[in-house]
Amino acid sequence: MDVFLGSMPDVLATTIRMTVPLLFVALGELFSERAGLVNIGLDGLMTIGAFTGFVVGYQTGNLWLGVLCGAVAGIAVNLIYAFCTVSLRVDQTVTGMAINILAPGIATFAYKVIFGDGSTLVQGTTMDKLAIPGLSAIPFVGDILFNQTLLAYLAYIAVPLCWFYFARTRGGLNFRSVGENPQAAETLGIDAIKTKYLASIVCGALAGIGGAFLTLCYTSTYATGVVAGRGFIALAAVIFGRWSSVGILGATLLFGFFDAVQIALQVSAPTVPYQFFAMIPYVFTIVALFFFNAQKGGPKANGKPYFREER
Amino acid sequence: MSRFTKFGKRYRDKALGIVIPIVAILLAFVVGAVIILFLGKNPIEGYGLLFSGALGNPGRVAQSLMSACPLIFTSLAVAFAYKCGVFNLGGEGQFIMGATVTMMVLQVTGIQGVPGILLGILVGIIAGGIWGLLPGIMKITRGLNELITTIMLNYVATLFMNYIYSGPFHDPDSGNLQTPAVADSVNLIRVDRMHFGVIIAILMAVVVWYVIYKTSFGFKIRAVGINPTAARVAGFPVKRLVLLSFIISGAIAGFGGSVDLLGRQYRLMTGFGSGFGFSGVAIALIAQLNPIGSMVVALFFGMLTTGASSMQVGIMVPSAILDIIRALIIIFAVSGMALMKLPTFKNLLNRRPMDQEGLMPPATGDKKVEVSE
Repeated sequence: MDVFLGSMPDVLATTIRMTVPLLFVALGELFSERAGLVNIGLDGLMTIGAFTGFVVGYQTGNLWLGVLCGAVAGIAVNLIYAFCTVSLRVDQTVTGMAINILAPGIATFAYKVIFGDGSTLVQGTTMDKLAIPGLSAIPFVGDILFNQTLLAYLAYIAVPLCWFYFARTRGGLNFRSVGENPQAAETLGIDAIKTKYLASIVCGALAGIGGAFLTLCYTSTYATGVVAGRGFIALAAVIFGRWSSVGILGATLLFGFFDAVQIALQVSAPTVPYQFFAMIPYVFTIVALFFFNAQKGGPKANGKPYFREER
Repeated sequence: MSRFTKFGKRYRDKALGIVIPIVAILLAFVVGAVIILFLGKNPIEGYGLLFSGALGNPGRVAQSLMSACPLIFTSLAVAFAYKCGVFNLGGEGQFIMGATVTMMVLQVTGIQGVPGILLGILVGIIAGGIWGLLPGIMKITRGLNELITTIMLNYVATLFMNYIYSGPFHDPDSGNLQTPAVADSVNLIRVDRMHFGVIIAILMAVVVWYVIYKTSFGFKIRAVGINPTAARVAGFPVKRLVLLSFIISGAIAGFGGSVDLLGRQYRLMTGFGSGFGFSGVAIALIAQLNPIGSMVVALFFGMLTTGASSMQVGIMVPSAILDIIRALIIIFAVSGMALMKLPTFKNLLNRRPMDQEGLMPPATGDKKVEVSE
């Protein structure tokens, strides 16, 4: 246990690293759900983002281009979701599941086409950490918060931006109204269909970036299953965070912390089978939801298909 | 104002329910062919190898049937739960728990022969049922979304199985992470080239169909699935029915895990059961939650799984292309069905037969449809 406490700064730094991908994806889901679209295809979107980010980063050597392409790939796949759920009114859960099956299929297929069927994973590079001068010199906190990758800083900025957009701008309020009552929103001249598509684009981009973070800032390789259910954990984080960007930040930090703790425990207690530690994030997600579940409180028209002609 | 009788409409919907998935499958294969062409390979040769690899000789057919067997179980698990409004994404975890507990009990007790098989399957069913019960309890007590909880439990189950085959039940004679094979005497009886489990799976589909559509229990399950509020008003114990559907769904998947272990895999190892849960979801959705339909689609998917390796070897296209094709089948199938429900298409469908029979008086028209029954 002493070893564990001694590694606390490490654990907290890892917490930030494990939080960032969750945060990106959960914020993406926030946009989606605020427009009334419950997207359970996040795992798939992350997978395609992780894969595209890795391949582009590996082939071009430009990791930022990788992040960008990860976002674009996320958008492309999520537009399938948007078209099915918004224009064709297919059940959102069913479409999300289809995305969860399609995206990893595309990723695995393309990986094998590009890198062959070998069993050794292709090693890429990860982004360098970027210490912010001044801030990173703050004792204890500085090294944890301000010695991260640039992508992590972007996540920090995204939270207040999302909060400001949804709480303080007319556009954000209009956006939210689509998730609450699309009929009423349309009578006020807000294009609900357009908003839903816009939400899907933002969600796809953020989930793609979250996925790209995994391969470009964390593992440096792409392997099937790299996402490991993070899309669903992010889904839980949105509920746990009560559909607010600040709440989501808190929830993802907590989930990230437990992920970091299990990594630290695996190192510090090698006698205990690592599998039991690896279960911690999944069990904790269930426990957190069990005690802090919100059956109500989300956008009112969340998950419901919108019929413009329906009266 | 349509001249279709109620029966005629239902007949048409049923026909669409079969036609749309077939069109979806064909379309998905066309997209797959385009991808293969794009790689500079011959799709016709590839699909030829796919089907000859799946059905080329009796051994291949048996292989396809045995690949389909676990998928039949997981798809039935999904279909049953969804009929009660429960979206069970945890088929994989329940399947794995079933197999893992079967393996553990058989290793520890060392019971041989038919009693061993029966005991193994029984504990597998119970383990799967318990793994389905957990998210069920969470749903009915705290309203937890089963989409999230069942997925989380999948990961817990996979990690638990991982611990079992790399820790206490690791095969000491093997360098790989796996358990020793189960004793020969508890292997499922073989019928020709395949194991008996395939027949159990097919019977299971019939039983699930019967329970859902022909019993009062199934009626209640469906009523809850269609409208839980109305079901509660009608006096049905909604929570109990939801919980039961979780347990039964999990038990079916766990049953599948035991059968796959004792009939085909014989040991737990890395990747055991991987992807079966999601494939089950895909199959059930394509079959529109019909148990018999699920069985048929699962047989088709089993065929694809078996034929994929022949295609991969023959024209050097990664077998993962079938994952893409499978996902496209779902997307096309559900989109097709949704398309039919859009007002524009509905009107189109309702008008066309009217034009054809437009000259006939309504009564005759109605009668004609009834005769065609």
